[in-house]
Amino acid sequence: MDLVVPDLGAVDEVTLLRWLKGEGEEVAAGEAVAEVEADKAVFVIEAPVSGILRRRAPEGAKVRPGEPIALVLTP
Amino acid sequence: MRHALLLRLGRVPYEPALRLQRALHALRRAGRVPDLLLALEHEPVVTLGRAGNNADLLLSPAELRKQGVEVYAVERGGAATYHGPGQLVLYPIVHLRELELSLREYVGRLEEVLIRTGKEFGVELFRRPGHPGAWHARGKVGFIGIHVHRWVTLHGLAMNVDLKPNGFAWIVPCGLKDVPVASLSELSAAPCPLVEVERVAIEAFSEVFGMETVEISGEEVRPWLSRNG
Repeated sequence: MDLVVPDLGAVDEVTLLRWLKGEGEEVAAGEAVAEVEADKAVFVIEAPVSGILRRRAPEGAKVRPGEPIALVLTP
Repeated sequence: MRHALLLRLGRVPYEPALRLQRALHALRRAGRVPDLLLALEHEPVVTLGRAGNNADLLLSPAELRKQGVEVYAVERGGAATYHGPGQLVLYPIVHLRELELSLREYVGRLEEVLIRTGKEFGVELFRRPGHPGAWHARGKVGFIGIHVHRWVTLHGLAMNVDLKPNGFAWIVPCGLKDVPVASLSELSAAPCPLVEVERVAIEAFSEVFGMETVEISGEEVRPWLSRNG
């Protein structure tokens, strides 16, 4: 399942600040996976499902709401 | 009308206040407490948001420590900032989904709280697109830095009232060079005692967010924290 940047309300672009989970690491549904920043606000993105994280964007990348930044591979 | 519990802490060192807001944030995320508003003043401290680093410090952490000023790297947005006596700080711990606010709208509401507070003291503050906060022609007066997890907010806003000392001289505020910093008291013709500014800002918060504040004491909060381990 795609890990998507949520709609933060008329925000065109956010910065992918940091991954909180490693490439290939197991993540649980609801677990904090990444932080993005926009407008002096840091927003925590959580895993939508449990599975293995496959990152698709590097730290520092500019990403858009709705854009998938990782895959969570479910068993 | 929705309610927010108001906790006025007075002047507190940064670290215990940080631990308290993180603990309350966890309780709010778990749906165990309603929305909260913390109002306080800090002892002098420099904090670095996720966009900040030691390059934003004009004095080294060791030199700052000699003056009794610690540097904390925290989870909020933004770069370096200073908190200290003569600055009002509000930390709303609110659920954005329940308030039906987007992140962008929330930041706009915090700016509105700052602007309305300035206005009560005859000081016209304005927004600068791309630079959240509250600005005056003579400098930045209001500061915003937040963290959102499970749509619950942490950290918040700060407003310079009458800074003593002016610790912004030790840092590059917000990572922006040549940004002057100003205080309400030097811009207002009227006196601006911190307790009055606090009262006005809490009222502005209540109006802007459509929430009635209900004051609680630290004593009342303590059992929740121990319950949480």
